[in-house]
Amino acid sequence: MMTYIVFILSVIFVISFVGFSSKPSPIYGGLVLIVSGGVGCGIIMNFGGSFLGLMVFLIYLGGMLVVFGYTTAMATEQYPEVWVSNTTVMGVFLLGLLMEVMLVLYVLKSEEVGVVFKFSGVGDWAIYDTGDSEVFSEEIMGVAALYSYGAWVVIVTGWSLLVGVLVILEVTRGD
Amino acid sequence: MNPLIFTTILMTVLLGTMIVMMSSHWLMIWIGFEMNLLAIIPILMKKYNPRTMEASTKYFLTQATASMLLMMAIIINLMHSGQWTITKVFNPTASIIMTSALAMKLGLTPFHFWVPEVTQGISLTSGLILLTWQKLAPMSILYQISPSINLNILLTMAVLSILVGGWGGLNQTQLRKIMAYSSIAHMGWMTAVLVYSPTLTMLNMLIYIMMTLTMFMLFIQSSSTTTLSLSHTWNKTPLTTTLILITLLSMGGLPPLSGFMPKWMIIQELTKNSSIILPTLMAIMALLNLYFYMRLTYSTSLTMFPSTNNMKMKWQFETKQITLLPPLIVMSSLLLPLTPMLSILD
Repeated sequence: MMTYIVFILSVIFVISFVGFSSKPSPIYGGLVLIVSGGVGCGIIMNFGGSFLGLMVFLIYLGGMLVVFGYTTAMATEQYPEVWVSNTTVMGVFLLGLLMEVMLVLYVLKSEEVGVVFKFSGVGDWAIYDTGDSEVFSEEIMGVAALYSYGAWVVIVTGWSLLVGVLVILEVTRGD
Repeated sequence: MNPLIFTTILMTVLLGTMIVMMSSHWLMIWIGFEMNLLAIIPILMKKYNPRTMEASTKYFLTQATASMLLMMAIIINLMHSGQWTITKVFNPTASIIMTSALAMKLGLTPFHFWVPEVTQGISLTSGLILLTWQKLAPMSILYQISPSINLNILLTMAVLSILVGGWGGLNQTQLRKIMAYSSIAHMGWMTAVLVYSPTLTMLNMLIYIMMTLTMFMLFIQSSSTTTLSLSHTWNKTPLTTTLILITLLSMGGLPPLSGFMPKWMIIQELTKNSSIILPTLMAIMALLNLYFYMRLTYSTSLTMFPSTNNMKMKWQFETKQITLLPPLIVMSSLLLPLTPMLSILD
């Protein structure tokens, strides 16, 4: 099972995305977002990116999702929708699950899968030697490079975040 | 809006487009598009009423979908070529997805449905920014990937856009919707010649922006958003009426005005590439555009529509002085003799 751990985690990833795309109340959407965040962290860590995985947990789940949970709790309604309360929501969820199951069976059974791009069945998902150099890990060097060669990216993303806050305050301010 | 915040947000719109146009890394281009989208939302929502909120939401949804498709195309390109630089997109799947994403951003058929609705829901100045500045960024990316675009898809979208832009504008009396359909048709002309000669796309973009700026500024000056309101401008500023006539005829592509220049060059370039039926069809469909421009000039400058006496005195806020307007009017009507200068766009 450990060879196919990335495949399993990816399937759980997609299932939790289906879970919140079928639009239950945002509280439950946040719940499956936590699951998908954790699973996504697992996928990244299996490729050797331990730092980035922990970053997902810390910043995404521990920062952004917490704030999201608080704001949703402030704006919640008396009877929030669950996946089984509304026929539409349940129908979409089951449809998404069905499509995922069919895709998984397709991947498991056939030699080569060519949906949008070709990859060779489950073999492509297994963890092989990812080819990072022996001395240092590629991923940490990437983060370090972000702050040296990639200073422009830091400036642009920092500015985008600042303007994002300004825009949101402006939009929700009203008159 | 607080002037400092407004300035910051406007500068961010500019910065977003600049980042898109100047980057060589696909990820930065995507970031530029997102920054542009994020910062233009409060500009679209300057007046706070349900119509602008709905228009901003529609704009945000369509552009965000287009950005997602763009990201997918970027990643497929990364998978197949292993690099992030902007060159030809080598994989046909990625190229098609990217063309569709950029067509969604531009408002080409079959992704044109948001353009009239969003343009109608926002104020004239916001509509101006939407229809001119926001077209620069996707067009610059199309220019850069033009060697690898699938010709069939692009030409289909272009021809359908010209048709929809002409046909859809026929039943409109609201000026913003007319300008939106005009924008769809002009985008169609621009993308039709993209694969053959990207220089002409840039020429068309330049002339189109000048003419659209002129039209919008004339509308802003007379504070008119409907044909009826425009038809009363003879009362307040009779000179503007004549200028509306000239600019609209230029937009319709009539010689000897400068709007004829891009159409002439495009038809010439297409016929040089041995496609005769296509430019003929395009020219015929541009007549639909000309018809509703002519209808505007008929009601505005050529006739005084019968109206009751109290409607003849048009009530509007104090006329704004738009300094940029006279040079724009001159440029959007008299540039035809300067056609040989288009070689500077190479």
